[in-house]
Amino acid sequence: MLKIIGALVILCSCGYAGFSVARDYQRRPKDLRYLQSALQMLETEISYGATPLPDALEQVANRCDKSVAQLFLETRNRLLSGDGITAREALDDTLKKFSRNSAIKNSDASVLRALGTSLGISDREDQVKHLQLAREQLRIEAAKAEEEAAKNVKLYNYLGVLGGLTIILIFI
Amino acid sequence: MNASELALSKKDNSLTIVMNVLPSHLRKMLQRLQQLQPEEMARLEELRLRQNRPMVLGFSDEDVFLHREGGLTAHSERAYFVSADDIQRTTQMVSNSSIYALEEELKNGYITLTGGHRVGITGKVVADQGRVKTIKYISGFNIRISRQVVGAADQLLRHLISPKGDVYHTMLISPPRCGKTTILRDIVRQLSSGIQKFNFPGVTVGVVDERSEIAGCYRGIPQLNVGTRSDVLDSCPKASGMMMLLRSMSPQVIATDEIGRMEDVEALEEVLNAGVKVLTTAHGAAVDDIEKRPAIKRLLKLQAIERLVVLDRSKGPGTVKQVLDGITYRPLGVKRC
Repeated sequence: MLKIIGALVILCSCGYAGFSVARDYQRRPKDLRYLQSALQMLETEISYGATPLPDALEQVANRCDKSVAQLFLETRNRLLSGDGITAREALDDTLKKFSRNSAIKNSDASVLRALGTSLGISDREDQVKHLQLAREQLRIEAAKAEEEAAKNVKLYNYLGVLGGLTIILIFI
Repeated sequence: MNASELALSKKDNSLTIVMNVLPSHLRKMLQRLQQLQPEEMARLEELRLRQNRPMVLGFSDEDVFLHREGGLTAHSERAYFVSADDIQRTTQMVSNSSIYALEEELKNGYITLTGGHRVGITGKVVADQGRVKTIKYISGFNIRISRQVVGAADQLLRHLISPKGDVYHTMLISPPRCGKTTILRDIVRQLSSGIQKFNFPGVTVGVVDERSEIAGCYRGIPQLNVGTRSDVLDSCPKASGMMMLLRSMSPQVIATDEIGRMEDVEALEEVLNAGVKVLTTAHGAAVDDIEKRPAIKRLLKLQAIERLVVLDRSKGPGTVKQVLDGITYRPLGVKRC
C-alpha cells in the first residue's frame, strides 16, 4: 500500500515538473507575440497621438494581454512616482521583476532594455524607429521560441511522466 | 501626501511643483533651503541650469549661486556645477519622459509645467529651411516659478472700469519679469468673479492662453484661480483662439497674453469691432518702445485701446508705473503701487 502511494507521489511530482517546463516553452512565444502587439500599440500612441509616455503606457496596459500588462502598468507607476527617475531606469526596474514572473528569457528582456535607453528622449520619427527595431528583434526571438517549443513541449511532457516511471521501476 | 508635505505645499505650492522636475539631489538641497530660509525662498523667481556651469537661483532682487554643499553663495568657484546627468534627468522630468509629444513646444523654445510655470530651453537648434524644427542636445534650462498673487490688480482695477461699469480696452506694457501675466491673471479673476467694492457684477471672460501661463491648465482644467466666469482655451494660437471664443462662447471680455504678430492684431481688430472688451499685454519698457513695433503701432493707431498700463520692477515685480489714457496718452493719477 505504502509503495503504491510513494510511486504515485513520484509519478505526480515528476510529471508536474515536466509539464511546467513544457508550459514555459509554450508560454514564451505567446508572451513574445503579446509584447510585439503591445509595442505596436505604443508605437501608434506615440506616432499618431503624441500621447505622453505615462498615459501611453497606461493605454497599452489597458488594451494588451493580461500576461504582459503588468510590465507597462508598473513602468508607468514608477515614472509617475516623482522620484526623479528616467524612463530607462523605470523600465529596467520593472523588467527585473517581470522577467522573474514570466516566461521571457534574458535575451528577450535585453531587447526591451535596449528600447528603454531611447524611450521618450527623441522626436516621433526616432521613437518609431526604435520601437520597430525592438519589435523586429522580438519577432526573431519569437520565431526561435516557436521552434524550441515545437521541439521541447512534447519532450518535457513525456520526459516528466516517463522519468517518474523509470524512478519507480528502479525502486520497486 | 503626508502631513508635512501637505503643510509644505500650502506654504509654497509653486516651488514644490517646480522642484519636482529637478534631479533628487538638487531637490533635496532646495528643500533644505526652503526649510531654513522659507521667506527668502518665497521670493525665488527663477532656477537656471546650464550644463557644466554653476546653478543660479534668481531672486526678485539678485542672482545667487547654489553652494555645492547646500546653501547659497556669491562665489562661482564654490557653486554647484550642473552635470550632464542633471540636464538629462531634468529634460526627462520636464517632458514627462515624452520629448516626442513636445515638438511644437520645442519649436517655440519652452515647455509649460502644470501650474503655468514656464521652462525655457536652450541647446543646439535644428532648423529646416530657416524654420526651427526642434532643439537637439538640450543644455540649458530656465525654470520660471509663476506665483499667483491674488489681489495683484487691486490698485489697478479702479482705472480699468468706467463709471458706468464697463471694462475699458486695456493693454499692459512691461519688459519681461515685471509681472504682466500675474496682473493679467488677477484682472481676469476679479472681472469674472465680480468686484463687490465697485458693485461690479462679474462678466464672462474668454481667455486665450497660448503659453498656458495665465490659467496654468492641466488637461484643459485651470490650475490657477481665474475666477468663476472665465472660459479658457489652453495652448491655442492667439489669433484663431480669439475668433473661436468670439463665435462660440459669447464673451464680454477677451484676455490674451503677449501680442506682437500682425495676425494677432488683425484678430484683435475683429474683437474690438464685435463689441467685446479686450485685455492684453505687450513687451516693452514704455509706450514709445511699443509704438516702434509694427503690429502694435497698427493697433494703437486704431485708437481703440483705452487704457495703457506700464509696469516695472522699481518696487518689486508688478509695480504699476503709469496708467495712461490710450487715446490722449494723458497719465491718470497713480502713485507707484
